[in-house]
Amino acid sequence: MQVQGLGSMKITMQLCTAIAVFVFGALAAQGQVVSSSAQNRSIIKTDQVTYLLPAQVSVPAGRPTAVTLHFLIKQGLHINSHTPSDEYLIPTAFTIPDGAGVRLDAATYPHGTTFTLPVDPTVKLNVYTGEFVIQARIVAQAGNHLVQGKLRYQACDNNACMPPKTITVPIDVIAK
Amino acid sequence: MRRNTLVLSAVVLILAIFAWAGWANWEYRKQAAERLLAGAAQGELVPAPGGGTPQYVSPLMGKPAPTFALGDLSGKKVTLASYRGKAVLINFWATWCAPCRLETPWLIELRNKYAAQGFEVLGVDTEGDDLQKSDTAGWAKDKAAVGKFAAEMKVPYPVLMDGDSISRDYGGLDDLPASFFVDRKGKVVAAQVGLTSESEMEAKIEKALTE
Repeated sequence: MQVQGLGSMKITMQLCTAIAVFVFGALAAQGQVVSSSAQNRSIIKTDQVTYLLPAQVSVPAGRPTAVTLHFLIKQGLHINSHTPSDEYLIPTAFTIPDGAGVRLDAATYPHGTTFTLPVDPTVKLNVYTGEFVIQARIVAQAGNHLVQGKLRYQACDNNACMPPKTITVPIDVIAK
Repeated sequence: MRRNTLVLSAVVLILAIFAWAGWANWEYRKQAAERLLAGAAQGELVPAPGGGTPQYVSPLMGKPAPTFALGDLSGKKVTLASYRGKAVLINFWATWCAPCRLETPWLIELRNKYAAQGFEVLGVDTEGDDLQKSDTAGWAKDKAAVGKFAAEMKVPYPVLMDGDSISRDYGGLDDLPASFFVDRKGKVVAAQVGLTSESEMEAKIEKALTE
């Protein structure tokens, strides 16, 4: 019986050793993933436009309510205003997808500022720079809604332009 | 009984670890592939010697310009290969790009000046709106806008559509306008990103013609 007990213990020890080896190997693989994630983050470019706040709003259910959305444009860049000076230029626009439990009733955009390219001061653009706000009037059904709003814009610096982009504007809307 | 439970638990744990290690390995490979793709043919801006505007350095410098076949505004297929023996300026632009539109008159003037010497400009429209091939309405809208602009500016050189489909070959095209100057043998001899000046473009055209 003692011999059986010893055999049992030996098997258990071997099993534990095998598990330890596998766990160590798996942790090494995880390390590779983590370090490569870190490397991946280092080559991601900074966003041209960032949504700042609010992350959460409380509104009365079913009633149009104004929410002030704050955005920040990366230094050195400008984006077209909601009413750009030329039909070809892409306006900045905020939308809320259907089916979110929250509807965008209206959006009020700031007036842009006049910007001229150093190469040709006769060309005047209407743009936003730095921090800007959009007044969004929303109507929410009763409940808690995680809204994934969208901001579409197109950014340039003094010499070049980047392709149009759409960023997500996440807002937790609590409607009572 | 107790030993059986222990063994069974150990087996389940090992299988779970295997599954997780498999996922971790797949994730690692996926990230490695993305890094490789992101690093491929990317140009960069380097400080100019003695200060001044940073210069664009393309990994395509000295190499054959990547081949392409794109449709023009009439739908006809235009290939880069058909211009072998001529110096070519491949100009990536978009209707929403104000600097691109500012340099268009320079391109027209330079093209007309050097055409007799065997020089051509290919204006490659790159709207960057990720249209699906099946989105005929979207394509028609883009083409209409491009055609309108080309007609307003009286562009004499071929204007090609769907530049997004070849943008990766030419370095990703994060910024527009982007121009590649190709010599008569099809080799890239100069490149630039952003608005520069007509004289700077002319110097690069002359380099493409004489290389």
